[in-house]
Formats: sequence, structure tokens, C-alpha cells
Amino acid sequence: MSGVAFAYSRAADVADAVARGGAPGAAFVAGGTDLLQLWKAGRATPTELIDVYGLGLDGIGVDGDELSIGATARLSDVARHPFVVDQHPLIAEAVLASASGQIRNMATVGGNLLQRTRCPYFRTAGMACNKHRPGSGCGALDGEDRHAALFGAGSSCVATHPSDLAVALVALDATVEVSGARGVRRVGLSELYRLPGERPDVDTTLAAGELITRVLVPRAASIGRLATYVKVRDRASFEFALLSVAAVIRIDAGTIVHARLVCGGVAPAPWRLPAGEALLIGQKPERGVFTVAAAAAVEGAPPLPGNSFKVELLRRALVRTLTTIATGS
Amino acid sequence: MSNDVADGAAAVDGAVLRTVLVNGIAASFEAPPATVLTEVLREELGLTGTKVGCSAGDCGACTVMIDRAAVCACMVPVGRLAGTSITTVEGLTGDELGERLQASFLRHAAAQCGFCTPGVLMAARALLGTNRQPTRQQVMDGLGGVLCRCTGYQAIIAAVLDVDAADPVTVRPTSGKAVGASIERVDGRVKVAGTDVFGDDDAPDDALVIHVIRSPFARAAFTFCDLESFVSENDGITAVLTARDVPGVNRFGVIAPLADQPVFAEHETRFAGEAVAAVVVLPGFDFSSIEFPVVWAALNPLTSPALALHPAAELVHTDRPANVLVEGFVQTGDVDAVMPSCAAVASAEFDSPFVEHAYIEPEAGWAEVIDGLVVIHVTTQSAYMDRASMAEILGVAEHRVRIVPTAVGGGFGGKLDLSVQPFLALAALRTGQPVRITYSRAESMASTTKRHPSKLSVSIGADSNGRVTAMSFEGVFDTGAYASWGPTVANRVPIHASGPYFIPNYRAHSTAVHTNGPPSGAFRGFGVPQAAIAQETLFDELAGRLGIDRLEFRILNALTAGQRTVTGHVLEGGVGIRDCLEALRGPWADALTRAQSLNRANDRRHRSGIGVAGIWYGCGNTSLSNPSTIKVGVRSDGSVVLHQGAIDIGQGSNTVISQIVADAIGIEVHRVLLRSADTSITPDAGKTSASRQTYVSGMAAYLAGVSLRAKLLAMLDASFDSEFVFDAGVLRCHSDGVARSVDLRRLPVDADGFVVVAVESYDPPTTALDHNGQGTPYAVFGYGAQLIELSVDTATGRVQLHRVVAAYDVGKAINPQLVVGQIEGGIAQGIGLALLEEYLPGRTNNLHDYLIPTIGDVPPIETIIVETHDPVGPYGAKGVGEHSLIPTAPAILNAIHHACGIRIRSVPATPTKVLAAILKRGAA
Ligand SMILES: Cc1cc2nc3c(=O)[nH]c(=O)nc-3n(C[C@H](O)[C@H](O)[C@H](O)COP(=O)(O)OP(=O)(O)OC[C@H]3O[C@@H](n4cnc5c(N)ncnc54)[C@H](O)[C@@H]3O)c2cc1C
Ligand code: SF4
Ligand code: FES
Ligand code: FES
Repeated sequence: MSGVAFAYSRAADVADAVARGGAPGAAFVAGGTDLLQLWKAGRATPTELIDVYGLGLDGIGVDGDELSIGATARLSDVARHPFVVDQHPLIAEAVLASASGQIRNMATVGGNLLQRTRCPYFRTAGMACNKHRPGSGCGALDGEDRHAALFGAGSSCVATHPSDLAVALVALDATVEVSGARGVRRVGLSELYRLPGERPDVDTTLAAGELITRVLVPRAASIGRLATYVKVRDRASFEFALLSVAAVIRIDAGTIVHARLVCGGVAPAPWRLPAGEALLIGQKPERGVFTVAAAAAVEGAPPLPGNSFKVELLRRALVRTLTTIATGS
Repeated sequence: MSNDVADGAAAVDGAVLRTVLVNGIAASFEAPPATVLTEVLREELGLTGTKVGCSAGDCGACTVMIDRAAVCACMVPVGRLAGTSITTVEGLTGDELGERLQASFLRHAAAQCGFCTPGVLMAARALLGTNRQPTRQQVMDGLGGVLCRCTGYQAIIAAVLDVDAADPVTVRPTSGKAVGASIERVDGRVKVAGTDVFGDDDAPDDALVIHVIRSPFARAAFTFCDLESFVSENDGITAVLTARDVPGVNRFGVIAPLADQPVFAEHETRFAGEAVAAVVVLPGFDFSSIEFPVVWAALNPLTSPALALHPAAELVHTDRPANVLVEGFVQTGDVDAVMPSCAAVASAEFDSPFVEHAYIEPEAGWAEVIDGLVVIHVTTQSAYMDRASMAEILGVAEHRVRIVPTAVGGGFGGKLDLSVQPFLALAALRTGQPVRITYSRAESMASTTKRHPSKLSVSIGADSNGRVTAMSFEGVFDTGAYASWGPTVANRVPIHASGPYFIPNYRAHSTAVHTNGPPSGAFRGFGVPQAAIAQETLFDELAGRLGIDRLEFRILNALTAGQRTVTGHVLEGGVGIRDCLEALRGPWADALTRAQSLNRANDRRHRSGIGVAGIWYGCGNTSLSNPSTIKVGVRSDGSVVLHQGAIDIGQGSNTVISQIVADAIGIEVHRVLLRSADTSITPDAGKTSASRQTYVSGMAAYLAGVSLRAKLLAMLDASFDSEFVFDAGVLRCHSDGVARSVDLRRLPVDADGFVVVAVESYDPPTTALDHNGQGTPYAVFGYGAQLIELSVDTATGRVQLHRVVAAYDVGKAINPQLVVGQIEGGIAQGIGLALLEEYLPGRTNNLHDYLIPTIGDVPPIETIIVETHDPVGPYGAKGVGEHSLIPTAPAILNAIHHACGIRIRSVPATPTKVLAAILKRGAA
């Protein structure tokens, strides 16, 4: 029931984690809910696991003008944190739409952002998958592509990013703080992810050994703004998104002055829809406007045979999300 | 914790001594850091109450509390546990709130098979720890991460909400009053305590472990390399078994003349997941990184009946021409003459995919050889059939094999065929040591049977008065690589496809076709659910065309006593379909009003609709002998012991048979001591399938009880209606004013320890069907109807169920609470069939790609029990196990049409399909 054995140790502190995390075969483990599954399936083969769960990076609080969420904060703690619930309900909504209560009690924010795709071919030992081994082929392109991406995919890989939380955080212009061999840096969450291109096996722009220490959400992202998260799935609960939408708008004197439309389950990363956003700015928050913006947002999405329904579904989900926000229901 | 040295920064891999606090007690064990908590609890600490259903976070059966928070123990590495406090289901005993919860689960019959129960209890306990008085919605949110395949969740929700019941009542009927009483399950306490023993729960510590090597391809040729050196070069490997090691016949099957499935494939595999070899290893040996020496050559598979029926197709089995396993046929009247003259005809094609049973307990068991007797402890629905097949495979007489069924964590038809049994027996015989095996979730899903995919082409015609006059039905069923229960499906469907209606002109033909899919077998309803989708949705179309209310249309056509069924069988009584449908009249009118007012009030996006469907289902095997035998006796101390071999897979036969036998003897039911199924102890009560146990084994129990009573009273020389008591070892009675007694302690004792014993058998009276399918296929039919209220989100295609009302004719409800449990559980599976479930071979071998209903997918269910005393069954009772699932899917599809005008004819009606249909309709 297990993959190849690995060495395991707890990181003493961030410096220790970073110092050892860059070694070949080394990997951080937080809640372990994703990594250990991949290890069991033979799709992750770390030789050394560095446990960062106990580093005390789990604080949630206000830091200057930002909400700071520690990388090892458990999803359940994030969703019930009074400040999050009060000031950034979008985050709580997205988290509560994720996994189950039991998983949220183990899973961390950092691990959630860095979880790997749910593409069934990627997660099944023995199946051809370029993300697992570049050049080995793509099972999804030849097989069942219902879950395939609409945006940002390449010929090498059509997998989508599964995180709900990341979609909400991108809509809130979040950044992540990263510690690495060359010190601490901050990177916009949207810039954390990369597209498959020639290297479908690499999901992020993190350098080897870089550790996410916290996620920062500008306070302004929520003030005076209306936001909601809509997740579409087959089952009532406990399922990854078929697709999801996080929308944030600010209305000033009856006109939309700020808009973020981000969708999940349709691209290798949380996907912003700038064409749609642009058509909202300066307009009144009305259904007609939403319909036009949503249509523009999905234009040009090139579907595969099995996932063409997603284009229309996304368009409708966008209208629905915006309407929900505007009518407050 | 300081002694947990391995968790320091410098420590590396390896098994080191760890100490954790479990249920308040410090426990020590050795394990490497990535070992998961479930393994430690179950294997090291012997706390087997925590169950494993998936090892992937998908099912929640493993839920425990760590520092009061619910987590999946299958995902927690032990390297992480230092300094924490763990509570498992065993820790609920002694915890005030935990015990209240357990008691409430017993009162509400919230545990059926009991396999999910420890996880459900722990999730509920964690919820109550932070929220002492949760709302219904909060309970649903808190329990959303635990899957239950048996109950349909309603009893669970009720039990959690009722945890603080001020004055809980325990039902304890007096002598002769057990039938009809909702007594607590006789095996319920062990289930809520987490001490019931399932397939993986009691293997000896030193048991060798079996790993099965399976085909990764739907069809493949294969050759083994040097197996001898594979064994000799790997220290932990004890033996390898292949087809050559099968001493008897390398073939099994539930229908003996068609037995075709090898224990190990020889030369070529016929489906993805088929076994080719088994490796026996030492306990604790890590087999996962070992490469087994086999070379595969993938061959072109037949992936659908359409391909398999092509004249040029290769044969899956060379002795089955055209890849046809069997055909079924029923014909009466003259369809071709009548159909053209019908006032309205509705015709359509329908299809459905493979559906997986997805019981939460994967196949598991252990075996040992004692003095030449092979003893197999296994999770199974059919101990006696297992024994017969195993004797064939081992080439020994049946008395050399003993099957000891463990508690069964859900079956639904999927544990009727052999799974782990042959591997266990062969390995135990080869090594001479105890051996064990537990399938992984993926292995369970890949290698066991499925519901038959179907392609149906159906026409139904009615006259202008709304009477259905003609129906034709053509069904092709994908029976997969092996026969399994394919013939049963092919035979049952033509008999049942008419639904519970009078149809004078009828022709139904079905074909079971071999492909390289997984073997399709028995799954609650044997093909009838698929057929009911076609018939019941076409009934709606006819009613619509004729302008008749959909419920009234069904009432008008409902079969009544004295009418001929499509097989020419005239049922004398107990035909309750009309009563069921009429019981829905009130709820139907209310639901219609509600849907109409919602549609007026709603935004245009959500459309409400209601649907109804009726069903019938024959209890017992189709036109075949299927006897049950029950033994009940009195020991010299006056205790009454029931030997009841009707395996309880959660449906409640242990309880129902006890109730019947108690009343037949005339004693209080709680005095009946139970010996559950074991081929060396209990007589053969057949298999737990075809909704036959309450009726067939129930009749045998009734007859045995009456016979025992007659013997006891004869010993007392008292009349049959006298009352008697056991006064310790003395049997006493007052009859005709005379005190009589018999001292049981002076009587001779038989091998079972009985001083008086009765053994009775019952076999339902049926007749064979002729070439037109005419005859008496079943002695007893059960009937039911369901009403569904739902809404469709036309923006996303998502269907939201609001309410189900189910009316069932069960003849006589021996235990009404268990009847309700069967109905609610069947409805939940019907919801899965209608909206969620589609098994894709090789692709959905887990519980996150294969979606079964969660607690949030099942709406409140109201059950109306109709009792039209059956002239044949015990106390008038008949089965309900499969009946409950059948109408749900067509009722949902009918309600979707009512809501938004689309006809979905291919289940599951996922949002994708519903949305596509809405768009198409909009465009048209
Ligand atoms: C049954 C199930 C259902 C689920 N449903 C959903 C869902 O609906 N929506 C959803 O969004 N998610 C869902 N998930 C995914 C779940 O949220 C993730 O598995 C979880 O968030 C990962 O967190 P973790 O701490 O366990 O990560 P780990 O498994 O510990 O780590 C995941 C990855 O992140 C890396 N990593 C972790 N922390 C850091 C760090 N601080 N810095 C750098 N690298 C790091 C690890 O090296 C690893 O590669 C589901 C999971 C399961 C098992
Ligand atoms: S889509 Fe990407 S992850 Fe999925 S099989 Fe293809 S390469 Fe692998
Ligand atoms: S066994 Fe842990 S979630 Fe299924
Ligand atoms: S009682 Fe829940 S799975 Fe059987």
C-alpha cells in the first residue's frame, strides 16, 4: 500500500526547512492529504520528507493593511476565523465548499494552493501522463476529457487546477510570501502558477526548496466590495469543482468601478477573465451587462469534444454569480 | 513527546518506538513515520472499530477525533501524533455524550450493515462537541464527509438530532407480539460499539498476506517469467499461485451450468482487473515496490455490446456463439396487431452505464486449515453457494470446506459471487498457515461485478380511454466478461418490464451479451431498475398525450387481483399496487400545488417539478427452486436458540427471522438466542438476494417455530393454543386447569446441545416458464410507488431533490422500522442511478471519481407502509429489499420533465446532460 520508502524528519525552523528542502528528492509535507496520496499511487517519489506542519506557521491575523494567513493554517481554522468570516467571507465560502470537514481539519492553506491536479490519469499508476513523466503521452487527450481545461492548456497537458481556495484568493489579489535560499520574496498568487508548455511536470514558479510561509490578502480587496463564490459539481457535497467562479465587484454611485472574475476547474491555474472584467467597469450592475460581460469572458475558449458543455456552463455560472452579488441573494 | 526521538530534526526513516494517547491510555508501538493511523489502530493496537473503506479520504469510515477534531485516520501519518490525544469509536463507551449517541443510533436504526457507523458516530461526536444542539443543516454539514451506502442517511440525521431524547422508549414486545413491532436490531449493539467483526477485523496476527496480480488491460495475453526464482530471491515472499495451482476446476459461477470464470486467467484475460496470479507474503512485508514477473501483450477488447454483436467480432468465449450468453422472452396477446390501432403510442430508446455497488466494506477475509477442513472467514452474501463453488475449485467434498460469514459491510448483490474466497483457500492449503486478504478500494471496484449496462428500445400504446393495450420491449444488456448473474437479469427483465400494470398484448425480449467489460452481476433489482426507467417514463408520455393525470393514468392501469400478469399468472390476492398509488393521491395533489406555486414565485432559473413511478418485483428466484431451512431448538436450561443461516448484510434478517420464530413458538423475542450463518452450524437458508429472506427464510422460520411449539406442547400433553413458560430448566404450562411440567434437564441432548429441536424447510411454489414465457415465475410479488419533488437549476443543469414520498405494499411489516430503513436506503441508491453514478472500467476505481450520494444528496423521505396481507408469506409478509430502489430513477426523470420539459433517457442525468438537453430544447 505504499510507495518507495523515504526519510522523514521535522523541520526545526524555516531556515532549516529551506536549507534542506532544495536537495534532490526532498519535499515539504504539511497536512499530507495530497502528497501522501500521490506517494501511495507511486506518482510522487520523494526520498526525503521535511515536515513543516509543526513550524508554527499557522497564525491568522491582521498585519498592517493585509490579512495574513499562515501557510500551515488548517482550512477549518481559516473558515471559522472571525476576521476571515467578517472581512473576507469569500475565503470562508471557498474553503467550506472544499473537501469534507475531516479533510479540512488536516489540510493546510499552503498544501491546498500546491495540491496537484485531479486528472485521473495523473493519479493512477501505470497510465500515460506527461505531467507525471514528460514525453510519456497524455491519457486525458486520448481518453475521457470531460474534466479537461478550457484555457491555458497546451498540447502536452489539459489538466486543471483543483483548488477552490486559490480561485477566491486570486480574485482578492492575494500574494504569497516565500522563503528560499536567497531570502524572502513575495509573489502574486497568479504568478505562482505556470502553464504546462514544454514542462507539464512543473506546476509553479517556486524554486527548489522555496517554502510558502504565508498568504497575504490586501484589506482593500474586500472593503466596500461585493463578492461571492459559486461552485458547480455533480454531487451535493464533497466533490471537486466541475467549475467554479469567484467574482468581486465594487460599486460606486451605481457604477461598477472594480471587477475581478476568476474561475476554477477550467485551466491549469485559477483563471482570470480580463475581457469580462473590462466590460463590467463603468457599467451599471444589471443582468444585461452581466450577460454581455460573461459572453465576452468565455469567448474563444477552445473546447475538446468532451468538455464543450463547460463553455456554456461557465458563461451561465458567471451571470449567476454576478447576479447573486448584485441582488445580494 | 520526548521519547518520540524519530520526530526530532535529525531522525530518519525506520520503525521506531512511538507512544500515543488513545482513548485516554498511552499506547506504544513501532512503526515508520509514514504509517497511517488506521494501520496502527487496527493492526498494532487491535482497535478494529475504526474502519477502512478507501484509504484516500473519500469515505470517512476511518473518522476518529484527534484533539477533539474529526479527521480521516487513513490520512494521518503517525510521525505526526506525538502529544496528541486520539479518540476512536471504542472511546465512546464511558463518554456520556458518546453513549447517548450510540443509544440514539440504536433507537433510530441508524446502523444497518454498521460498517460506516463508527465513522459516522465519530463525526457526529466531534460535531456535538462544538455544537451541542445542531440544526438539521448543521448535522448534514458535519457528517458530509462520511459515506453510507445502506441507510439513505435519514435515520442517521434523526439519530443525531434526537441525541438528547428525554424519555427514550425501548420497544420490548410481549410474547406473541414481536411481529409488527419495531424492535431494536438484535445485532445493533455491536455495530454502534464498533465491535462487530467484519471481514478484515479478526485475522490472526501471524496470518500471511495475499496480493493478487491483475490484468491492467481489458483484454491481454500474458506470460510469466521465472516464478520459482521470484519466490526464492525475495525473502518476504512465501508462495506464488497461478492457474496451475488450482487442484479442482479453475472455474466458478453462480449459475452452475454456465460457470465460466477462472480463479486465475489462463493465457488470456477478459477484463481489466482479472486475476492472473496471487503472491503470498509474510505479514508486514512491503509488496508495493516489488515488480511481479509477468509480461503483458494488450489485445483488442470488445468494449460494447454493439461491437460484440457485430458478425465479425471475435468471441469472448468460444462456446458462446455471437457473444450471446442468454436471451429472455415473454409474449402474450398480439402486440403487432394491436399497437397500430392504439390512440397513443410512446416509443423511445434508453441507455444506462455500469453501476458499482460501492458498499463501504471492501472484500476481505482470512482462512486456515484445521485437520483437513478449510475454514474461510469472509464477508459474503451466500455461504452455501460459496461452499459448493469452493469444493469444486479445491476438488474436495463439500464437508471439507466451512464458510464462516463475518459481518457484511454492505452487499447489494455484489457479494453474491466469489471474490477473495478462492485465493484464501488456495493459499492456506499451499502454505499450511493462516492467510488473509483485504481488497483495496481500487481492486474491489475493478474486479467485482457491476449492474448491467443496458440499451433498451421500448414502445407502449394505449387506447383513447387511457388503458394501456400493448407494449413491446427489446433490451440488450452488457453482461461483461463472465456469466455471473447475467442469465437472471435476462430472465427477470422480460417478466417485469410491464411494470405492475395490466397489459394484455405484450412482447419483451432481452439479450445478455458478452464484452470485455467487468462481469455484470447481481445488483439490487437484477436489471429491473433499468427496464422501469423506460416503461415508467413512457407511461408519463402517454398520459401527457392523452391528457390524463399521470398518477390517475397509473391507477387506471394498475394490476388487480384476479387479472393475468404478462406471464399469464393470475394472482389471487396481495396485489397492492393500486393501494400504493392511491396512498399517493393526497401527497400528489399537495406536491402539484407546491410545484405550481414555486414556479410562479421563482425566478425563471429554478423550475420545480414532480414525478411518480410504480413498480413490482417478484420475491425469490425466477421459476427455480430456492429453499431455505431454519433450525430452532431448546437447550436443557430452557434457552431457545435459533440457527438462522439467512445472512444479514445489514437488511435485518437476523432481527426479522427472530421476530417471526418467536411469535411462531409463542415466546418473547428477546429470549431467542441467535446463531448466525455458518455452514458448519446453521442449515442452508439460501443466499441473501432476490428479496427472498423475509419471505422464504421467514416462512421456514415460521414453520420451524410452529413445529417446535407443537413438540413442546405435545410433551406437556397440552393443546396447541396453550401458553407455556420456561422456568429455568423446566417447561411449565397450565392447560385445562391442570399444571403440567417437563424437566428439560432430564432429556437427552443432541450434537447442537438441544433437548427439543425443529427443522423446517420452505421452497416457494413456482412453475417453469414455457417458450412464450408463460407460467408462475414467483409465488409472491411486492409493490410500491414513489413520488419525487425536485427543482432544476436551468442555469447549471443541477437537479435538487426536495422530498420523496414512498408507498410500499410489504404484505405485513414484520419490523416497520427496518422496512423504512430498506426503503430509504434503496431510494438513496436510486438517486445515485438517476443522477450520479457511472462506472468507467479502469477510470473510476475510487470513490472520488465514482460518485455515490452523500448526506446532502438525499432529501427527506416519507414512507407509507401499505399492508395487503399476502396469502403466501409468513404472517402475510413479503420482501422489500430491491423494490425500494426501482421507482426512484424513473420518478426523478419524470419530475425533471415536469420541471423543465426535457426528457433524459440516458442515466445518470448529470448537470452536463441536463444542461445540454435544456440548451437543445431552447434552440428548438
Ligand atoms: C477526499 C478529498 C477531497 C478534496 N476536495 C477538495 C475540494 O473540493 N477543493 C479543494 O480545493 N481541495 C480539495 N481537496 C484537496 C485538499 O484540500 C488538499 O489535499 C489539501 O489542501 C492539501 O493540503 P496539505 O496540507 O495536506 O498538503 P500536503 O499534502 O502536505 O502537500 C501538498 C503539496 O504542497 C507542498 N507544500 C505543502 N506546504 C507547503 C509550503 N508551506 N511550502 C511549499 N510547499 C508546500 C507539498 O510539498 C506537496 O507538494 C480534497 C482532498 C481530498 C483527499
Ligand atoms: S491532462 Fe495532464 S495530467 Fe492529465 S493525463 Fe494528460 S498530461 Fe497527465
Ligand atoms: S478509509 Fe479513510 S476516508 Fe475512506
Ligand atoms: S450502514 Fe452505512 S454503510 Fe452500511
